[in-house]
Amino acid sequence: MSWSRIKLLIWKEFRQLRRDRMLLPLVFLQPILQLIMFGYVVGSDVTNIQTAIIDQDRTTISREVETAFANVGYFTITAHPDSEIEMRPLMDGEKIQMAVIIPPGFGEALERRETAPMQLIVDGADSKTASVASGYAMQVLADFSQARAESTGLVPSGAGIDARVRVLFNPTLRSVNAMVPGLVAFILMLSSMGLMSQAVVRERERGTLEQMFVTPITRGEYLWGKLTPYILLSTVQIVFIMGVGIYWFQVPFNGDVLVISAGMLLFMFSTLGTGLLISTVSKTRHQALQMTMFYMIPTIVLSGFIFPIESMPAPVVPITYLIPLRYALIILRSNFMKGSGFVALWPEFAAMAAFSIAIFAFALSRFQKRLAD
Amino acid sequence: MPLFRRHKNTTPAEETNPLVERVAIGEPEASTPPEAETVSPAPPASPVDPGVASAPKAPPEPKEYIPAADVALGCRGLVKRFGDFTAVNAIDLDVKRGEIFGFLGPNGSGKTTTIRMLCGVIAPTSGDAKVLGCDVVANPELVRQRIGYMSQKFSLFEDLTVDENLRFYAGVYGLESDKFAQRRAYVLRMADLEGRENELTANLSVGWKQRLALGCATIHEPELIFLDEPTSGVDPTARRHFWDLLYELAASGITLFVTTHYMDEAAHCSRLAFIYEGDIIAEGSPREIRDRFMHESVFEVEVDDVQTALTVLEAATDIPEVYLSGALLHVNTGERTDGAELLEAHLRVHGLVPRKIAGVQPTLEDVFVHLVSEQRATTPRPIKT
Repeated sequence: MSWSRIKLLIWKEFRQLRRDRMLLPLVFLQPILQLIMFGYVVGSDVTNIQTAIIDQDRTTISREVETAFANVGYFTITAHPDSEIEMRPLMDGEKIQMAVIIPPGFGEALERRETAPMQLIVDGADSKTASVASGYAMQVLADFSQARAESTGLVPSGAGIDARVRVLFNPTLRSVNAMVPGLVAFILMLSSMGLMSQAVVRERERGTLEQMFVTPITRGEYLWGKLTPYILLSTVQIVFIMGVGIYWFQVPFNGDVLVISAGMLLFMFSTLGTGLLISTVSKTRHQALQMTMFYMIPTIVLSGFIFPIESMPAPVVPITYLIPLRYALIILRSNFMKGSGFVALWPEFAAMAAFSIAIFAFALSRFQKRLAD
Repeated sequence: MPLFRRHKNTTPAEETNPLVERVAIGEPEASTPPEAETVSPAPPASPVDPGVASAPKAPPEPKEYIPAADVALGCRGLVKRFGDFTAVNAIDLDVKRGEIFGFLGPNGSGKTTTIRMLCGVIAPTSGDAKVLGCDVVANPELVRQRIGYMSQKFSLFEDLTVDENLRFYAGVYGLESDKFAQRRAYVLRMADLEGRENELTANLSVGWKQRLALGCATIHEPELIFLDEPTSGVDPTARRHFWDLLYELAASGITLFVTTHYMDEAAHCSRLAFIYEGDIIAEGSPREIRDRFMHESVFEVEVDDVQTALTVLEAATDIPEVYLSGALLHVNTGERTDGAELLEAHLRVHGLVPRKIAGVQPTLEDVFVHLVSEQRATTPRPIKT
């Protein structure tokens, strides 16, 4: 290994990158576009839930409950039917997605420090909205219960309003908060894998790869000369996306730069290794692009990037353990939001290290063999 | 030593090359025990048992192959197999210093594979190759430092400038900065690129790219340059200009190993070897090859309807070879003495009147076509394993 030759290869690669007109848009515009798409469009939060309040209690307390729902910002109270029977046509006609039924005697029960039952009816036709709406509603009621206990000093001896969902770390459940760390890993994968495979295949197409190996450049030197620029480029990209996420999308950052860097570096080796692997099976850049797409689709679907792994059918779940992005997402999201460290995340780090080593070793051996044929 | 030899079995070189003891080489070092002869250095892809494969060629005792002092490149029994396919079948080559050595053969006959082995890019399945006194198999990196290589793709970085390409290759070979300045000036003058140093290589036209590629391949003043079809796709003027450069290099003592499909270029070489399906089927100077090989008569036929004449003569069973050479037909009539009459008779039967039928000196192209068609007709591909 000659350091001066590696430096020369890096210099050469950067010169070439500088002349690549598509590179800057790809590296910086693409993340912004994806942040907007995934942050605002796909992962849009459920707001403006059309809600009916059936207040059969008609006390101060029941009106306070209604106000609590109205003020939280997620619910729009559009109807006050008198009974459940009157409410049904509204739900059938998609006029409302949720109904809150406050039965007679609700306020009185609370005053007597007893358990006060009430009912939430949610339209399950749209399962995502349904679960989000009920989650919000429970949160509203829990907050209400808490506030009431504090202001009146009346701690319910029974269960009070017994709804105690607490959403940790992302209390407002803004999905963009989970999306941005996910996007960091996703874009890193997309660009490092794509750029790497394209860069190697381009040299194969033009014959410069062949040319380089009749010079004193060794395979190791070539690889380091190729990897280094893309590691640097990917790092710049990660920092950029995180910056946009934190300062523009206001995603709170509770993480640790060290944990994120370590995780991303490990992940980068697996994606660059995959890129290298793709380059060994592709004759043309077009093929490399198709291979990249071929790899991307199961990765997007199975990694938990968009669809939560928890909601996948049980037979599919074991497959997700084979997707390196899965681990990168867990590390990034947990660290970003909860500040989870190496101790909590060691299984993910171990899995990613294993994947990176395996993929990279395989890619290297294929690369060697491909040159020998 | 016979100039023309044909290898049809697994033990060709012993018969044809009595001067050199055959050595099946596994490990080139002297410390290797004798049984190493059955160990091929890099056979992992080959399912063929190397012991069985090389058994017929095994000499009584292995001995290191040492080429003569004036040999820049020599190989003995060089074999490359890809699985069951034998790309290069135990070839021997001797290229003297300062020679322009032409390596000819149809596409897919093993030319590029041979060059890649001689450059140390791929390891031979078996055999011994010495380049500039170094063992290519054992020390490919030593060899690569001292050779230049230029392929038909020119292999320049198109998105780098002329200057950056030169700088890159100079750096790869570790040229000092004053040496680089001197070589850079030389290459720019040689390639007629003075004043265009900062132009992107992609914008150069083919002739300039070709000369820049030669410049990059020779920036470190190699003693031996491999040129794999360096003139394909280049216009005749640029081709001529390029060959002038090659003559200059050869005159300064540099050895050139050139593959080409242009027979006029082959005629410029000091020596030639013909490779066909992995075997060297003829070797010698262009003149020797023409004289010693071609005992048959070649006629040049000028006729109005060349296409019909070609069809007619191709169909004639007593005419071994006919092909188009420019607007004329070249016809090999075999060793008979009445070739001209035979041709005339064949053409007239079909109402064709030849303007001219003239016996000519066989050209290298005639020899090449003859060699290839004879090989195709008489020898089905020998099974080598």
